[in-house]
This record gives sequence, C-alpha cells and structure tokens, in this order.
Amino acid sequence: MSEAAAAGSAPTHAGVGPGTVAKYVFVDSPELTAADLALRAYEIAPAVQIKETCFGLVIAGAEAEVDRLVAEIRKFDPDRIFVKDRGFPPGDERRCRANLGGARPGFYGHENEMRLVRYVSSGLRALRDPKKADLLRAKPKREEEPLSPERLSAIIEES
Amino acid sequence: MTAPVRIALLGCGAEYSGVMPEIYEAARQVEAEVFYPDVTLADVRSAGKGFGLDVHSADLKLMIARAEALVAGRAEADAVFIATCFRCAEAAIVRNELRRYIHEQSRLPVVSYSFTERTTSGTLLTRMEALVTIARRRALLARERQEGLTMGLDSGSATTKAVIMKDNEVIGTGWRPTTQVQQSADEVIALALEESGIRRSEIEAVGVTGYGRFLLGNAIGADLIQEELTVNSKGAVYLADRQHGFATVIDIGGMDNKAITVQDGIPGVFTMGGICAGASGRFLEMTAKRLGIDITELGPLAMKGMGKNVPMNSYCIVFGTQSLVNALAAGNTPEDVAAAACHSVAEQVYEQQLQEVDIREPVIMVGGTSLISGLVYAMGELLQTEIVVPRYSQYIGAVGSALLASGFVRKE
Amino acid sequence: MAKVFIYPGTSLILSDLVSRFGHRPLGSALAVRERVQTPGLDSPPLQITPEDPKKGLRYAAVEVPSGVRGRMSLYGPQIEEADAGIIVRDADLAFGCMGCARTNELVRFLLRRREIPLLELDYPHSDEEGIRFVAAIKEFLSGLPGGVPA
Repeated sequence: MSEAAAAGSAPTHAGVGPGTVAKYVFVDSPELTAADLALRAYEIAPAVQIKETCFGLVIAGAEAEVDRLVAEIRKFDPDRIFVKDRGFPPGDERRCRANLGGARPGFYGHENEMRLVRYVSSGLRALRDPKKADLLRAKPKREEEPLSPERLSAIIEES
Repeated sequence: MTAPVRIALLGCGAEYSGVMPEIYEAARQVEAEVFYPDVTLADVRSAGKGFGLDVHSADLKLMIARAEALVAGRAEADAVFIATCFRCAEAAIVRNELRRYIHEQSRLPVVSYSFTERTTSGTLLTRMEALVTIARRRALLARERQEGLTMGLDSGSATTKAVIMKDNEVIGTGWRPTTQVQQSADEVIALALEESGIRRSEIEAVGVTGYGRFLLGNAIGADLIQEELTVNSKGAVYLADRQHGFATVIDIGGMDNKAITVQDGIPGVFTMGGICAGASGRFLEMTAKRLGIDITELGPLAMKGMGKNVPMNSYCIVFGTQSLVNALAAGNTPEDVAAAACHSVAEQVYEQQLQEVDIREPVIMVGGTSLISGLVYAMGELLQTEIVVPRYSQYIGAVGSALLASGFVRKE
Repeated sequence: MAKVFIYPGTSLILSDLVSRFGHRPLGSALAVRERVQTPGLDSPPLQITPEDPKKGLRYAAVEVPSGVRGRMSLYGPQIEEADAGIIVRDADLAFGCMGCARTNELVRFLLRRREIPLLELDYPHSDEEGIRFVAAIKEFLSGLPGGVPA
C-alpha cells in the first residue's frame, strides 16, 4: 500500500471530484476491442476522462457528459456493451491492483457476471426479434410447487 | 533499507467495519506491508470443494482461495494475518480452520483476530510486530544460550520486572507493581543490580518487552525492543529447557492472556486477548483481596479447596465478582472460593484462547500467575496434562529479553 | 424514472438493464461514491469509518457483526429510498459489498418487507433463459412510474 493510498488522499484527477461520476463500460464483442472503444470514445467526448482496461473502459467526468458518452457508446454494439456505475474514480490507488497486491473483491464479481452476459445479449437481441415473441411472453422460471400428497398417490396408482 | 515484511491479509468485513486504516497503521508501525494474495475466479469457485468447507459468504470463499494460494506457493508472503468480524459464526469457523490449515501446511507465521468497529491499531500492533519478528528475525530467535552480561526488562500492565543474566545464568532480579513506566523500571533495575552486585555501566546489552516497551526502550536506549509474544515464548522454552520440538506456552497476564504454539523456539500460532479482565490475573488479585489474603497465599489456599462446590463464572469481571460475593455470602469456605476462582479463570482461558491454538505438549505456564499453584492445577485438570512451570517463570519476559539481547553483545 | 434497488448491489447486469430501460439503479457504486466524494473522511479504501457500523444499528442490533452493520449503512438508506427492487436469487459469487451472506439475507428481507414492486429471478445460464430474463426485467421496469411501455 502506498503512502497516498494509506492516507486515503482524495483523488486529484481533473474532472473526477465531487459531483462527478465514474462508470464502467464492459464490452463482450468479437468485433469491438477495448482499444477500439477507447479511441472512438475519445473522439466523442474529449472532456471525459477515459481509461482503457482489460474488460473495456472506465470513464469519468460531469454526469451529463458521461451520460451522453454512454448513450453514444451503446450505439456501437447495443446488445454487447454493458454499463455500470463505479464508486471510485479511474486509477484510484485505493482500489488499484498494484497497491492491493491482488484484485479488489469487486473484480471477481464482474468476472463472474461477464461469463453470463452473452445470455443477456441474446435476451436483448430477442427484444427486436418477433420470432422470439413466445419466449418473451413466457414468465421467468418459477420454483416448482412441492408435490402434493394427493398427486403423489395418484402417480403411484398410475404406475 | 530492508524490504518490508509482506503480510497477506485474509479478511472479511474489515473494510465495512472501518478498521482497515487501523490494520494499515499497525503494519506501517512495524515496517510491514499488507496485501491481498492474488487468485483467479476459478480458484474462488473451486475453493469450497478443494478445502472441503462450504460457506455461503463469497468473501469467505475468497479467503479460502487466498489461503490455498499461499499454501500452494502461487502467492508469496512472509506472514499471514486473518481478520474477521467478531461475533460472526460463519467467519469464526473459516478463521480457525484456515489458521490451522496454514500452520500445518506451510512455514508461514499466522495470527488471527476478530475485530469490531472499535478495534484500534494499538490492539493489533503487538500481533503484527510478532509476525514481523518471526518473519524477519528467525536468526535472532534461534538463540539458545545467553551470553555476556545482559539485562532484560518487562514493562507489563500489572508489574514491571528486571533480570540480569551472565553466562547463561540469572544473577539478579527485580519486581514491582507498575505505577509509572519509567519510575517502576528504575526501581526494578536498581533491585536487580543490587542483587547481582554489578554496576549499570557493566551491562553489555539490554532488551525490553511488555506494554511499556517503546517508551522505556527508547528512554534507556535498549538494544532490543520486542513484543512479548515472541519474547515470552522464547523465554519459556529456554527456561523449561524445551528449545527443540513442540511446546505450548500459556501466559495469563494482568490484562490479557497469551497462548502460543511453539516449534523449535519459534512461535507458530498464537492468540492474545481475553474478552474481559475476568479471565485474567486481575480477577485472581480481586479474589485474594476479597478473601483478605495476599495474592501469594491464594494458590496454596485454592489447593485445599474444592472448586466444584462453588458456582463461579468469570466470563466478565463484574459478573465474576458478583458470583464471588454470592459464594462468600452463601457461606462457602475461603478454600472452596479460591479454588473456584482459579478454576473459572483457567476455564475462560481454555474456552477463549486455547480453542484457537493446537495444544502441543509440554504445556508451559509462565508469568506471575504461574506461581498461583491453584491456577496451574486447574489448568492441568482442564487440559489433562502435567503443566510445566519453570524456575523464574514470573520473570519470563525479562529473561526472554535478556536472552535475546545477548545477540547484541559485541564479541571481544 | 424510478429508483430501483438492485440485488446484488454490485451487479453489472442489473445496473445496465435498469439504466438501459430508463430508471436509476441503486446499489453499491452509488453508496461508495457518496463516501469517496465526501471531503474529510479518512478511512481507505472505501471511506467507511467506524461511525458507519454504528449507523447500521438502525437495521441490525449491536450483537450483529460490525461488517454486517457497516454494509447495512450502505444499503439500508437505499432500500428505504427505493421505489422498486430486482433480486437475483442465485447471486452467490458477489463479493466485497455483497460478500457477506448474513448481510445479503437481511437486505433481501428488508426489500421484501417494504412491499414495493419486486421482481425475483435467477441468473440466465442459456440463451433461452437469457431471453426470459431480459424480457421479465423489461416488462417489470415498464410497469414502474416513468417506465417506457414494453
């Protein structure tokens, strides 16, 4: 842990102080790398701080600017780009792997959900696909009711 | 500048209890660095299966995965600090099992602690310091003989002790209740010098331990300032002549208790604490006062009594005192009450401390309370073993300090 | 726009879907951001101080571990503020803010007790489940005040 991190010093990055927001942009697309995304994001919103990471980007700045950038970024690949709020500004020493020795706990949670986002992508695609209408109408799986004694004895008698 | 000792933190809840700054601060004070062993999500997902302990909390799964990485050598560390929330049963099981697992499967010194939001760096300091000592000073701890003319001081919460040693023999001792750290130390030093018949200037090296070690050590320019966990365990195996193999050291102090599993003179697993002074020497002091006897008479008195005849629970010193008063009011004999008090303190140490270390024989009792025969007897009964109480056991910290300080004696 | 508490509070998927469909997700990030941006706090890494577990006493008694109460100081006010909630029931690999099973039980309980619109479902593990998952969330969010009709 560095001195600055241990002292919990306030972030000094421009545009990430109080009143600003930071967001993660995760990309799960074979056609779009994090580097591509960063490059295009810079062109859209030069005032927003953009940091490329292994899974996508961390972006930070004034809320309206960040929201505008998010809306634009989503258009690149709407079903395979996912955005989430982040508490810390990009590169914050308190959450940095280099200072902690290992990944912060939240990293594993994201990694776990990133295994599942392709199914969410399928779900998002299906919203625009009339052929999937049946599935769309179907309710999510409910836990099955326990077998009633009456039904059990009926099954036994039938067999 | 030497590289900082790297302490792997296996924890759950510390960030949410507001105590991380305290952990960092304690580490900083002993020039150590706290870090998280790096693992992968796959390690975490398989952690429950490999270790065999299914837990619900994901952060505890992460703890298990990190411990496995340390044991397997996938992550490197010098020592391990396990910290989880006080009163969490799920975490307590993981904490205890991981401590045992790491101790058995690796050479890493490990200490565990259950914190509340009130935990301070001061509380953690002694434990961190011990980890650092074991990691960094193995050579110093390997010392088996005292050499030259050295003095050891133990500035404890209840008493201050001094010992002067020469050529592997104790030649002078001093003992006083602690009032002011410096003043009490001056008094015991004078006593020890007088008994040994030497002058202060002849002493070649000084070691200091105990609560007042920093204040005192810096004031007198000590060669060695070291926490009491490693010093006492070293002193215990030295005095008991059990410097090789395993041993368990129990030190019931005036303010807290220590239980240490030692291997070849080096502490492996240790616990330090006590919920309340009810489980410490302080309660026995109160008992003696209530019975109108000197503390030195309590042990022999207890040996004549039957503790079983008197219900007593010193889990908390207030309730313990209450049962003491009730027992006397109910007409129990002083002998039985003394025995019950000894049994109660032994039982508290057994329940609170000894469950957290693996008891290895011989069990050595040290510290002032080891002179209370009734307490030693009660502990032996609980552990079903014969307890070793070496000569000078009440001076344990001072002897350990004098022994280790001889590493600083300049050879002619 | 409704305030929708997401469980797990650290969920990328829920955070994305709630804001994608026009609402405000309440979860770990917002609570942590509030602390990180409060000047004068000196308690890294999360700027949770020993005062937070005491604030958590509003939601859990003193015999409940400090880590639970500290986490509740993040989530308790958000649960009170929420207009609706979404719970993913099988979120057993959410760490950090959501890494304590006891806290998580309490969070789910308090959400259910509030009697606000609540959707409970499981993570998708196939395309078909993914389709159901997204559709159910979209339908739920559409029904909230300010939601876009499904």
